[in-house]
Amino acid sequence: MYRNAIFMCERLCAEFPSETNLQLLASCYLQNNQSHCAYYILKGTHMAQCRYLFALSCFQMDLLNEAEAALRPPNESSAEVPNGAAGHYLLGLIYRYTDRRQNAIHHFNQALSMDPLLWAAYEELCILGAAEEATSVFSEGASLCIEKQYMHDELSSKSSQASSDDHIVVPNRSLGVEDVSPRQLKDMHGYDVRDISRNYHGAASNQPLNGGPATFSFYNTPSPMATQSQLSGVAPPPICRNAQLNGPNLRAFGADSSPRSVVNSAVPGPRRKFVDEGKLRKVSERLFSDSRQRRSMRLGGESLVNTNSSASVASGNGTNHSSKYLGGPKSSSVVSRSVTIRKGQSWASENSDEGAHYDIYDDSRLDITTSSSSPRGDARSLEQEGAARPSGPVVVSGSRVAAGASEILGLLMILGEGYRLSCLYRCQDALDTYIKLPKKHYNTGWVLSQVGKAYFEMVDYMEADSAFSLARLASPYSLEGMDIHSTVLYHLKEDMKLSYLAQELISTDRLAPQSWCAMGNCYSLQKDHETALKNFQRAVQLNSRFAYAHTLCGHEYVALEDFENGIKSYRSALQIDSRHYNAWHGLGMVYLRQEKFEFSEHHFRLAFQINPRSSVIMSYLGTALHTLKKNKEALEMMERAILADKKNPLPLYQKANILVSVENFEGALAVLEELKEFAPRESSIYALMGRIYKRCNMYDKAMLHFGLALDLKPSATDVAVIKAAIEKLHVPDELEDEDAL
Amino acid sequence: MAESSEGEEEGKLTGGNQHLVVDDDLREMAKKAAWSVSSCKPGNGVLSLRDDNLDTYWQSDGAQPHVVNIQFQKKVKLQLVVLYVDFKLDESYTPSKISIRAGDGFHNLKEIKAVELVKPTGWVYISLSGSDPRETFVNTFMLQIAVLSNHLNGRDTHVRQVKVYGPRLNPMPRQPFQFTSTEFITYSTVR
Repeated sequence: MYRNAIFMCERLCAEFPSETNLQLLASCYLQNNQSHCAYYILKGTHMAQCRYLFALSCFQMDLLNEAEAALRPPNESSAEVPNGAAGHYLLGLIYRYTDRRQNAIHHFNQALSMDPLLWAAYEELCILGAAEEATSVFSEGASLCIEKQYMHDELSSKSSQASSDDHIVVPNRSLGVEDVSPRQLKDMHGYDVRDISRNYHGAASNQPLNGGPATFSFYNTPSPMATQSQLSGVAPPPICRNAQLNGPNLRAFGADSSPRSVVNSAVPGPRRKFVDEGKLRKVSERLFSDSRQRRSMRLGGESLVNTNSSASVASGNGTNHSSKYLGGPKSSSVVSRSVTIRKGQSWASENSDEGAHYDIYDDSRLDITTSSSSPRGDARSLEQEGAARPSGPVVVSGSRVAAGASEILGLLMILGEGYRLSCLYRCQDALDTYIKLPKKHYNTGWVLSQVGKAYFEMVDYMEADSAFSLARLASPYSLEGMDIHSTVLYHLKEDMKLSYLAQELISTDRLAPQSWCAMGNCYSLQKDHETALKNFQRAVQLNSRFAYAHTLCGHEYVALEDFENGIKSYRSALQIDSRHYNAWHGLGMVYLRQEKFEFSEHHFRLAFQINPRSSVIMSYLGTALHTLKKNKEALEMMERAILADKKNPLPLYQKANILVSVENFEGALAVLEELKEFAPRESSIYALMGRIYKRCNMYDKAMLHFGLALDLKPSATDVAVIKAAIEKLHVPDELEDEDAL
Repeated sequence: MAESSEGEEEGKLTGGNQHLVVDDDLREMAKKAAWSVSSCKPGNGVLSLRDDNLDTYWQSDGAQPHVVNIQFQKKVKLQLVVLYVDFKLDESYTPSKISIRAGDGFHNLKEIKAVELVKPTGWVYISLSGSDPRETFVNTFMLQIAVLSNHLNGRDTHVRQVKVYGPRLNPMPRQPFQFTSTEFITYSTVR
């Protein structure tokens, strides 16, 4: 339906050129993933929403400077950022990707304060490492904020007799076209309801993030009857997600929001509201035809509803509510639906006053065309609690809102805290937090993959694997976190599972970087580094802001001994996300190979500071310290690593190495004996023990251990080394170069 | 010195990167090396030796011995040389006696291996290791493969592909030995 919408809109703009019309056209283009078109038509516009849409198109086209200038004109530093919370969020992202961390943090915080349910802003703050505790963000204060917004909406809607045009109409109306447009514009509502934009009043996100259609912008709700005003309950969900995600991602909402959907007993209410609203509109249409139009235009003028207008909602059927133009409701079925619903419900419970008004609508029921019904259908399914229901007495809605809001906030608090902790790599705490979630939320793809990630960071690969597998069962279509899953399988050397995962991911979504990362990991496990590199490069091409793909490219370059490109890749990863400790670690490894020991120690230390719980990083830091001859510190670090993770044998081995180099042979042997219990089939243990015995001149034992080492099939290089050692058993050690033995 | 015939064929192994018989811990070393030949017929030059295409071949065009020189930027450990030659296709152009030399440069090459092929039809593996375990690898700047004579006393020679293998780097730098068990390998890197 987008093509239809775009065509009609272009005719509209030709007929009545104005910024509001351009805005509508731009939103059509954005919906259809043609951000370059939107970019060109919106260049130079001044209206707030236009600027927001323009910034959005620039952002999608990667023209961050222009996007920033649109949202924050350089000369008017005090100008308000258009589109409230969503605008701040977009600005925050721009700052993040242009490396201005403080500004980014400031704007994300602003977005959160304007709309406490803007989860994506909180997520970004966590990634930047600057998030406050979830309890303070998703707190009572936030709840009050949400309530206030609802109140505001209600009042404003009440006062403004929102014409029947309902918001759907509003955009149309606002176009200032009375006749043709609305009707045809209705067609345009290919708009996805979800893309509701926020008007610049800001927040009012009653719908927590749900892509939900809801969107009736609040000022539409009001109908001539005061009681009805309440559609506002369903204020447009935060646009932020939508803003960035346009198009296909919208579908992702379903997946993303699932963990967060809060079941609200209140839900049924608002839906019904919609139904009524439709009727109301109809009524008001009749009753207030002129004033309505004026009003709608006025309303449209004040704040454009959306970028991705919710208007779409109504349009589902493309009917206009202004049936008079077309001479007949198209959505008769819709109408009847609404009618029946109307009858069926027990409004009374929700809104005691409603009953009184019913009779007014009766005659309108017949011609109800209001589109709303179709969107309502969606709204019904997607609605979330927050929606304040009832308009009637403000008091009623207030408490409902409060109840809904606090439930959502409670949930977000747990999720937010968990996410924040896992970004700070306090993984055990994060896991403990996630456990507090109700079962139905815990068993969703998003949460389970966060759990998997937390285990991964703690180097507990078995648990991570099981968590990720559960996540796959819960949402097999979701690719979030699957790149980490593939890495886990890589570490566990499960090549069957890994190739199966990669195949599945590719068949689910060929255009997602995670699928190619998994494929690349698969090849890398089979030591085919060139193909693995190609796959990772594909992932980078698909999304150049996906830091992990860059890091994996780096790993492959290093495996191919192309250190320069490896360093470049790691640096690109760090540019995107400076807290990506894998990239710091990778750089440390490169410098270690190149024997630039200070650099390597510096980088390992940075990685360690970001993730102080990984025993692997600790053991590498220890190795680097050892190369710098700071053996005491090295040993301390190894001890810490040993304590951090009992299952990791490496720090013990490294400790033995260090002890050998300081000639503490007994200590080293003791450690190695311990290790033998742990990993009895590891040839390098015996080889090292053999070497120690040789140094201590205990030739029989040395011979024995070398023999054992050889039995365990070490690599060809090692075979050569060990055999050579055996030959030279009775010859004093020559100076061997570091590499060889 | 001249050992008796090296493996008679092995049918062509799988295409692509995989030589089934090459161990996992070996990798192709000569990608960044400089390759040159003593002489060639136009259209059948040195590129055909490295193009992974068994249909194209290098054809020499001068006096014997015909040589292929491989020069590395730094000293590398080499373990295995593999040639693809086919008597059925090339008949009198098929190499018969091959000598492999190594050294720092053209001035001090020394023969390290000599083999005689008898009607080979496929990949021929020439190991560079000596009998002493200390000599598993040849550590050198340059390798030269010399074709001393051909089957049926042909003058010029055809070689279709040449690959040179050496050991892989230890995935963990600065370790004395490589790890073999899963427990160790799982924890050995941060990916």
